[in-house]
Amino acid sequence: MNQMPMGPVPEKAIENLKVKKKPNNKSSFLQMKKNYSAYLFLLPKLILFTLFVAIPVIWAFVLSFQSYKVFGSEFAGLDNYIQVFESEAFRIALKNTLLFTIVTVPFGVVSALVISTLIFALGKFSQSLFRSAFYLPTVTSMVIIAMVWRWMYNYEFGLFNYILGWFGIEQINWLGQSNSALWALIIMQCLIPFGVGIIMYLASMGSISNSLYEAARMDGASSFNQWLHITIPLLKPTTLYLVLLSTIGSFQVFTQIIMMTGGGPGSATETLVHLIYKTGFRDFEFGLAAAQSVVLFVIILIFSVIQFRVLRHDE
Amino acid sequence: MNKMFKKSALTLASLGLAASVLAGCNGNSEEGNADEFKGKITIWDGPRWPDKDDNKYHWLDAKIKEYEEANEGIEVELVQVPWAELGDKLGVAIAGKSWPDIAPVDISGSAVSIDHIEQGVVEPIDGFLDKDEKADFYENALDAYTYDDKLYGIPNSITLHSMLLNLDLFEEAGVTPPENGEWTYDEFLDAAKKLTFDRDGDGKMDVYGFSTYVMPGYYESWPFFYKNGGSPLNEDMTEFTFDSPETVQAIQDLADLKLTEKVAPETHGGNDVGGTFQAWANEEQRTVAMQPWATWAIGAAQGKYPTNFMVANYPTGESDTPKTIGGVGGWVMFHQEDANKKAAVADFMKFISTAEEQNVMAQNYGIFPARISAAEMDPFKDNPEMTRAMEMSDQVVMLPRHPEWKKIDEAIQTQLQLVFNGEKTAEEAMADAKKAVDELLK
Repeated sequence: MNQMPMGPVPEKAIENLKVKKKPNNKSSFLQMKKNYSAYLFLLPKLILFTLFVAIPVIWAFVLSFQSYKVFGSEFAGLDNYIQVFESEAFRIALKNTLLFTIVTVPFGVVSALVISTLIFALGKFSQSLFRSAFYLPTVTSMVIIAMVWRWMYNYEFGLFNYILGWFGIEQINWLGQSNSALWALIIMQCLIPFGVGIIMYLASMGSISNSLYEAARMDGASSFNQWLHITIPLLKPTTLYLVLLSTIGSFQVFTQIIMMTGGGPGSATETLVHLIYKTGFRDFEFGLAAAQSVVLFVIILIFSVIQFRVLRHDE
Repeated sequence: MNKMFKKSALTLASLGLAASVLAGCNGNSEEGNADEFKGKITIWDGPRWPDKDDNKYHWLDAKIKEYEEANEGIEVELVQVPWAELGDKLGVAIAGKSWPDIAPVDISGSAVSIDHIEQGVVEPIDGFLDKDEKADFYENALDAYTYDDKLYGIPNSITLHSMLLNLDLFEEAGVTPPENGEWTYDEFLDAAKKLTFDRDGDGKMDVYGFSTYVMPGYYESWPFFYKNGGSPLNEDMTEFTFDSPETVQAIQDLADLKLTEKVAPETHGGNDVGGTFQAWANEEQRTVAMQPWATWAIGAAQGKYPTNFMVANYPTGESDTPKTIGGVGGWVMFHQEDANKKAAVADFMKFISTAEEQNVMAQNYGIFPARISAAEMDPFKDNPEMTRAMEMSDQVVMLPRHPEWKKIDEAIQTQLQLVFNGEKTAEEAMADAKKAVDELLK
């Protein structure tokens, strides 16, 4: 059983925690030489990362300062960025994306935590069953999910309006009205189980020492208090990771939009990535689309840094 | 010395004249020689009509085989691309300079834009079609592929939009269809009212008179907006004109079919293309009696969704003459480095665009030939609905050919969506569209 360390921390342990002096170039080269087999194993992934992630990202950044032409782009300075910040379409897309993220991320993470807690209390067989059931949407194509949800929102034959009909409530044109379309997409996102979150929370819950709960029980803590004061604080690193992961995912919402609303009615469901897609592949303004992408990257970076500072577990 | 100079100058001038006469006689001298090309030509195409094995690419497969046998050393590779993905894939291919040699696109902006032409991505093909060959194409078909007095593709089909009326529902409601498919908007509205009925008496409408959809890039509803004589831009394309009183009235009329007249379902003016068509064509639904569609729907209603229907004009308004929106399809050649290959690509494009091939395509694929000689083969002699639709060719209005059309279209259509869902009046929506379009026209 894991035991929490008691009493004063030994001097040696404190020494180990101190930042070690940076090795000079010669010794780091020798270290690399010593571990060459590890670098060889990393090499294929590094090559793929460089080719398909690093170079395109750098190229997108370069492109954002150009007026794109198939045969010879021209340097455009900050023109594309000025156009991004002056664009009403970008402001609307940013507003919609922020609303989508602010609602779906907390809901997704909290629901994953609650579902994991409920599943964790079950027996081994039931745990496996529910774990698989909740993970299933994660391995299902969003295109398929969007098609099913489009049917569920159908005005004439959809499941939601059918259920509303039982209570004598008038049908709703879920995806056809500006005031309901974005919320329909938000509801859809909230009701799709956050499979990765559930799996990660379950794994993290399994690693929490039982002795902590035993001690709490001896002190008379209720189950809810144990969950609130032991489970949740010790799951903080997992929560941070999941919040970051789902925030990045939410800022990049795209498939649902293109499959279900096309950004409409009007601009009611226009989101940043859908706007970038239209700018690039419909209007062929790749320089402007690259500038929009860089701005989106910066927004996500800012959000990630804030979340990291607020939620990191060593404070 | 002076005499000698004069003689040399005369000789040079004569040689120059002879060279230019020879070049004029043989248009291929600048365009390369197809016979000298050995290598691969890549063509993209979407699925067309199926053969007995459900192969929807059999027509082009057969033509490729025939061409390769007749031209030793030339290999033609067909890349099968679903129509829905063709625009995006071509956009990516153009961005990566990895375009095919030939693709079935128009130059109005769906996949290839005027901007691409100006950048040299699309090859002009004037040198490969002589005056007589060009004379065999309908003028509007050639116009659709002409920019800056150069031809940028070989037209192979003409499409247009028409009204499709479900005659079983007309009979059930006791409504007489318009004679010869000609009617006014008042007659259309009257029919739509009668065609909206509650079949089982549960207080809910089971059939609606009319519906259509509104979304960028689709123009089924637009001929209604032209009924009073309006158009989106003025003639020299410097001014937005869809905010004229007659157009605003026409837009409001069509939206009011749902909002006030209640002869169209709630989904009228939405963005569900498939759902809209199913409501008219699917045997299990048939909840809408009249819808406007492009000519492909005639083929669908005669094949996969057998329906008792007729083709009618769009109703007329104040302008008295019916209008419809048309489109032209064809083959486009992308930028070539090798003049001989360019000639071979043009040769293959002509090989699949003969009058015989356009006749075959018209009979099987529900499109109108772009060649006059193909139309004279009477491909629709056993198909009265297609014949009726072809008669509407003279009602065709083409969309404005503006380099920023895709953005203009989006600015208009997204505002139209808000009229149809009742969030704005047509006047408010077109005033807002004008602000956006005026920026694009500057």
